Amino acid sequence: MKKLGFWNAGLIVLALGSLALMAGCKPKDGGGESTGSTGSSSSTSGETASGDKINIGLIASINGDLRPWGSDCRDGAMLAVEEINAAGGIDGKMINLIVEDSNSKPEDGKTAAQKLASSDVVGLVGEVASGITMQIKSVALEAGLPLVAVGATNPDITKNSDGKVFRVCYTDDFQGPVMAKFAFQALGKKRAAIMTDNKQPYSQELSKKFMAFFKSLGGEIVTEEFYESGQNQFTGQITNIKSKAPDVIFLSGYFTEVGPIARQIRQQGLNVPLLGGDGWDSKELVTSGGDAIIGGYFCNHYNNKEDRPEVQNFLTKWNEKYGGEPATTMGALGYDAVMLMIDGIKRGGTDKAKIAEALNNTEGFAGVSGVINLKDHNGDPPKRALVVEVTQDGQKFAKAYEPDEVFN
Amino acid sequence: MENLLYVWAGLEFNFSTLPQQLVNGLITGAIYALIALGYTMVYGVLRLINFAHGEVFMLGGYVALFVSWGFGFSPEALQKNPDAQSSALILVIMILVAMAACALIGAIIEYFAYRPMRNQSRIAALITAIGVSLFLQYAGQIFLPNSPPPSIAQQVNPYQENLKFDLISAPKETRDAYTAAKTESDNLKQQFETALNGRSQFDDTLTDAEKALGTQAQEAQNKVSALEGEIAQKSVGVTITVGKLIMLVTVIVLMLILRFLVMATPAGRAMRAVSHDFESASLMGINVNKVITFTFMLGSALAGAGAMMLVTFEGTAIHPFFGLQLGVKAFVAAVLGGIGNIPGAVLGGFLMGLAETLVVWAGYSNYKDAVAFVILIVVLLLKPGGILGSSKVEKV
Repeated sequence: MKKLGFWNAGLIVLALGSLALMAGCKPKDGGGESTGSTGSSSSTSGETASGDKINIGLIASINGDLRPWGSDCRDGAMLAVEEINAAGGIDGKMINLIVEDSNSKPEDGKTAAQKLASSDVVGLVGEVASGITMQIKSVALEAGLPLVAVGATNPDITKNSDGKVFRVCYTDDFQGPVMAKFAFQALGKKRAAIMTDNKQPYSQELSKKFMAFFKSLGGEIVTEEFYESGQNQFTGQITNIKSKAPDVIFLSGYFTEVGPIARQIRQQGLNVPLLGGDGWDSKELVTSGGDAIIGGYFCNHYNNKEDRPEVQNFLTKWNEKYGGEPATTMGALGYDAVMLMIDGIKRGGTDKAKIAEALNNTEGFAGVSGVINLKDHNGDPPKRALVVEVTQDGQKFAKAYEPDEVFN
Repeated sequence: MENLLYVWAGLEFNFSTLPQQLVNGLITGAIYALIALGYTMVYGVLRLINFAHGEVFMLGGYVALFVSWGFGFSPEALQKNPDAQSSALILVIMILVAMAACALIGAIIEYFAYRPMRNQSRIAALITAIGVSLFLQYAGQIFLPNSPPPSIAQQVNPYQENLKFDLISAPKETRDAYTAAKTESDNLKQQFETALNGRSQFDDTLTDAEKALGTQAQEAQNKVSALEGEIAQKSVGVTITVGKLIMLVTVIVLMLILRFLVMATPAGRAMRAVSHDFESASLMGINVNKVITFTFMLGSALAGAGAMMLVTFEGTAIHPFFGLQLGVKAFVAAVLGGIGNIPGAVLGGFLMGLAETLVVWAGYSNYKDAVAFVILIVVLLLKPGGILGSSKVEKV
């Protein structure tokens, strides 16, 4: 067995290595594709920007587990670039978006970022997941590039970032307390049970924040149970939870496991409401969760049914280009992230340090997902969070929390 | 019944949930056992660890998904016709198609990937197996729907009602209190909904009286939850859905059929002969190629059945990597029971399922997977061939 383990590990490393090589070639096509959208001839990332182009690098999970979010993020980003270029670019210079695939893996994200950093980009945009963004951050700091993260909600992303790392979403420091407050005050729940996905730093952090704030409000956490993404039987944990008599259950993981968990919770005759974070955001949640997930609440970044002009403008353009509505909120956040970067370039020029400085001074940037203020906030814009209810045909707005109303 | 909870050295042994946990473990283990059989049978005849077995399982899940879509249970069709009714017949067709498709896939993999490598060194065959596994995963990413990972709609499963078996019932007062609280809560909820008249319960335009009614309804609901929990704590019993019971019975039936096939048919006898001595069996006029194809088909069909039941009864999200983790667990189960030994695979599967669930029961759900491997190491240290395996040390 020892021998098998050794060979096995070695072979898998080899196989993955060669796959990574293959994957490394692929994004060139992706880059070509997106440059096509700018109307200029296709350019590889090795070719540096000439005088009439400004290069922005996007790292997205176009393949792998995070593909639902990654592909939406890329589509949103491309939409933003198209919009700016159609309006004449920045002072006549066209924006060129170079897309690299992170394959939903931190190590591939790092490679992608290094590749972009060695080409002539003025800034990086990405990723939807915190783990990958951490790796991109280290590359960006080394190269002195400003980085706008898309959906990375882990609070550590912007810490020790030398004023160069920003994000367009709220953090788990905010999301967790929002759901705790919603559970305790709006739903009147006093005894919460938590299920955490131990494989996802996102889920761990969110559970921690929810727990701390729910307790500080006067609620009780009856138990915390763990699972790992990729598992499919959660009955053992649910039996434990049931014996602790909670009146609400917080599921901080991603929708791929939340659906089956919800079904299995109801199968054991446990009928309490279910709550979660923005990892629930997917059309597939209703299919995988069935009746069990209907009536659950989760925290989201924005809502397709909002009537703000930014939202409606974005949805119209999305529908024209791709048809329908974005399946996840990462469409809007990807769009916002690129728009914010472009806004920074407009105000700061093409110098990396100046862009970072301009981004740090952002005030009242009207994004699809809400107004973004970055001045004196160390890269974390205070944003409002929406609590939405899961219904048979998607999501229904329940309650909005402004940044300053949660903590008091 | 409070004395059913023992706390020792940080471990929580709540004996009132033990029967439920044992049932949970059996069901988890049944699926492991079903997949482990495929690993062990192929190893038995070929001395090859078929790393692609987890991917055959994954494909079985997809086949079941497509069949369910064909019967009108795709998300689009359900949107138009949300009241689509499923039946036992549909489930039977799904499982048979999944089994047949997997058997075919297994045979194809064997024919194109493993047969050309059969006379090469064992390590070459092993690398091929890993190659096939990776090929299927990444090809699946391109050709199979996986963004977002689909799952089989709940409506496909007509057996959702709960069966409750009480070994010790909760005291009558508690149950009466629960019924009363439930009636009151339903009542208040009804009143509140009438008052809302289509508005959201979080609407700003609610009057103070309406808000008070809402709070009252919430409190009544909390009381119901609390009493539900009290009943759960004071009674000892098992809750299981009919669907899962069917799943457990199907697994056992499939294992009995397998036992019959292996022990009582000419094909099974040939299989055992090949497993005993490959060369001699072929000298005795056994068509080894046919036997090997048969073995692959048998093992893959079992994986297909397991995949269909898992995705139908649990709502697991299906993606090209979803066979990976289960495949590894089932492989461990097969090694634990003694790889190459059919009853060993079943035993190993059930042991793994039970062990994992008991770890969760003791309050250590974050170490669930680690325990599986600790068990494996301990067993292999004591019995290198696995629990029921031969004592001869295999160098794989």
